Parts: sequence; structure tokens; C-alpha cells
Amino acid sequence: MIKFENVIKLYSENITALNRINLHIKPGEFVSIVGQSGTGKTTLVKTMIGDEKIDKGSITIGGWDITDITQSEVPMLRRQIGVIFQDFKLLNKKTLFENVAFAMQVCGGSSKKINTIVPHVMKIVGLQKKMDRYPQEVSGGESQRAAIARALVHRPKILLADEPTGNLDSLNANEIIELLLRINKFGTTVILVTHNREIVNRLKRRVVTIDNGTIISDQAVGRYIL
Amino acid sequence: MILSFARVIKFSFQDIFRNIWLSLVTIIILILALFTVNMILVVKVVGDAAVGAIKDKIDINLFIKPDTSEKDIEILESRIRQISNVKETRYISKEEALILFKDKHQDNPEILQSLTELGQNPLTPTIIITPANLNEFDNLINQLNALDSNIIESKNFTNYESMLEKINSITERVSEAGIFLSTIFVFITLLVVYNSVRVAIYTHRREITIMRLVGASNWFIQMPYLFSSLIYSSIGVIVIMFLYYPFLALLQPYLKAFFVGYNVDLVNYFYSNIFTIFGTQFLVSAIIIMLASLLAVRKYSKS
Repeated sequence: MIKFENVIKLYSENITALNRINLHIKPGEFVSIVGQSGTGKTTLVKTMIGDEKIDKGSITIGGWDITDITQSEVPMLRRQIGVIFQDFKLLNKKTLFENVAFAMQVCGGSSKKINTIVPHVMKIVGLQKKMDRYPQEVSGGESQRAAIARALVHRPKILLADEPTGNLDSLNANEIIELLLRINKFGTTVILVTHNREIVNRLKRRVVTIDNGTIISDQAVGRYIL
Repeated sequence: MILSFARVIKFSFQDIFRNIWLSLVTIIILILALFTVNMILVVKVVGDAAVGAIKDKIDINLFIKPDTSEKDIEILESRIRQISNVKETRYISKEEALILFKDKHQDNPEILQSLTELGQNPLTPTIIITPANLNEFDNLINQLNALDSNIIESKNFTNYESMLEKINSITERVSEAGIFLSTIFVFITLLVVYNSVRVAIYTHRREITIMRLVGASNWFIQMPYLFSSLIYSSIGVIVIMFLYYPFLALLQPYLKAFFVGYNVDLVNYFYSNIFTIFGTQFLVSAIIIMLASLLAVRKYSKS
């Protein structure tokens, strides 16, 4: 599903963000990528969505070699990967419904399809009663759930979650992790980037630990070791 | 394609109304800019009218010997009309000249008294010649000087030449300064509009980045902003049209009073050139706003 082979990413001659990363993630896996701040976790995510170009090695996603992806191909890639972020990245001038619908509209989805699928996905994330609210009118946990709904709406095979619980209290954080586990149960590959020790240890899933841009540990049922 | 285009229009209107204050500020800046541009145009039209009025005042008086018969004068006047650069001629008889003279000096009893003391009409008949083209004034003077007629009393036109030279020089400088100042003002105005739009888009930079992150193509991100540019330009031009005609109507009586005897009709000028004036303004403002939007959106949608 996702294959990193000898990936090197340099920000300058002295700053190596990713150093010889070799990582294989199989379809349907739930993988936590952990590490302290500034170790290269977010850079790893960015290379997967074409936001950063790598300097050496290759990245293949679902059989598509995106190592030399062009700017015009990036939207196509992003439509196949659901991404959620720590700061939710919702459009403040659109309602939660419109935010989720937007992800389908950019792909040219019909209005009929949007009006059927979006309420369904909103129900899955528990926001069916708050679809007409704007992001600033709901809590952080609800905003993140809306962001998950947006990431899921075109049924991606991969869901990338970059510190999704970073801005949430423990109750909301647990709800989001539960939601990610449910999504994973449906067959979606989930990659959780976090530095939340408690969550990682509770998950008992595969854990990849990064330190200074290098993978220092890859355990099938891992714990937060840093 | 049609669905995407419909969505572009929908997003554009949504963006305008949900960011109503930002939209209003952009439109107001555009209206102020267009008002400035139109003021420059008004100044140009009034300036041209003033220059025209000065040039209209330039005519040549050909003084005829006092005892010349009307028939000889008529023949001479007819010969003058044949000259190519003569727009029109007007004959003023001795008697008419006296009436005009008295009328002109009615507030000066000393001059009128001295005229009575003379006991006779001292004025000569005159043919007033209006040139068709002031640029060929020299040529007209030469042709008048070459007229072979013994009824002409005075043929000295040297003063006219130097006066005309000065007038031409002044009007040319006024025109050059007008073009220079207008260009600077229009440039500044366009720059203000351009930067206002860029600032407006700057406030959308987060949204643009998010759109890109969820897989929106550049086309899908840029088009609503380009469509909004057309809406802003249309609203700006329509509002300026509604504002400007009453403004011109208010200004018109003052201009009429100032340019007595001359036809300086700004309202009519703007009416008869409505498509050229406001069409050009719509096109230029739309291009500027679209360009500013395009460059700004491109900048923020690169990630």
C-alpha cells in the first residue's frame, strides 16, 4: 500500500529531515508513527501528500510512484488520501456540511450524491445534528470529527492523521481515537502521527518510532519508547 | 464541466456575501478609484473646452478703407471665403462697428463723450475672419497678405502670429501636463486597486491552502476569485454610473456659467460616450482585479 525506500529529505546541507527511511505499510494496517517534536514525523506525512519533495529514494502509494509527482498531479493524489490535522483545517466561512461536501465538490461529485453521502458520513462521526453550524460554533472535538468526515467522504484507502488529538482534551482525544479505530475496522489504512504516549500505549498496534529523521524502532505491537 | 462552473459561481457569491465587509471595502476602493479616473476625464474635457474656447476667440480683423462701397466689400469677402483655411467671415459695417463700440464702452462716459466731440464715425468697416485650423494659421496669414485689393486699409498681422504662438505653446504645455498627471493618477489608482485585491486575497490564504490540501485543483480554487473580480468590477462600474450622472448634473450649471457662450455639456459628453467610457473602465478594472486575484491565489495555492 505505502512503500518508502531509502527516502532522504534535506531542508539544507546541515538539516536532514528524513534519513534513509524504509517503511512498508500494508493495506488495512493501523500504524502509529511516534517521536518527539521536530524529529521528522510531519515531514513524513507531507511527503505522502505531495506537500514536500524528497531528495533521494522513492515513495509508492497504492502502486503509484509519487517520487517525482508534478504540481498538477497533487490534487489527484490528495483526493485518494484522507488527511486530518492538529488544527483541523476547516474552512471557517463554510458550515460543517459544506466543509465535508467541498471535498466531494472538488472531485466533481454530483449534488445528489453529495446530499446522500455527506449526511451519512456526518452521522458516522456523530455530527448529524450540527451540520449547519460553522466551525467556530462547535467544540474542538467536533471540529476534528468534521475534519475526519471530510477526510472520509470520498472513501479513501488511506487516512493520515497528523497529531489529530494535539488540540483536544483527553475525553475528546479518546473519542477521536475510537473513531479512527472504527474507520480502520472498515478496512481503511490508518496512519496516526502522534507524540501522545498514553494513546500509543493503549492502542497496542504497530508503532514506528522516529528520532532525528531516522526510524529507530518498528514494532508490530509496540509501545512509546522515547 | 457545467456542474463545476455552476459551483464556481455559487462559491463566488458565497464568498462575497460571507465576507461582506471585505467585499464592501474592495468595491468601495474600486468605486473611489473609478471616481478619481472619471474626475481626471472631467478635468480633461473641461480643459479641452477651455483651450477650445481660447482658440475660438482667435480671429483676424481685416480693416477696410472707410469710403469703400458695400459691393466691393462683398466681392472681397467672397474672395476671402474661397481661401481654404477660412472657417467663416463676418462683415461689420461702419455703423454696426459704432453700435458695438458704444455698447462695449457704455460704462465709460469719457470715451463716449470724445466720440460725440468728433462729430463723425471714426471707425472703419471690418471683415472678421475665423480660421478653420489654427495649425495652418501661418499659411492663412500669408494668403491674406498676398491678397491684391486696394480697399484693404491694414494688412499687418504680425501681432496675431506671436500671440498665437504663445497660445499654442501654453495649450500644448497644459495638454502635456494633463496627460502626465492623468497617467500618474491613473497608475496610482490602478496600483491601489491591485494592492487592495491582493490584501483581500491574503486574508483568504488559509482557506486557499486548505482547499489545496483536500484536493482542489488550481482551476477550482482560482475561478471563484476570478468570477468575483467580474462581479466587483460590474458593481463598481454600475455604482459609479449612478453616482456620476447626478454629480455631473450638479456641476453642469457652474460650468455653463463659467463658459458663457460655449457648449461645454459634460452630461451629454458622458451620455454620448457611455459605452466607451464605462466599458473601458469595466474592462481595465476587471483585468486589474483578475490579475491581482490570480497572482495572489497562485502564490497561496502553491503548497
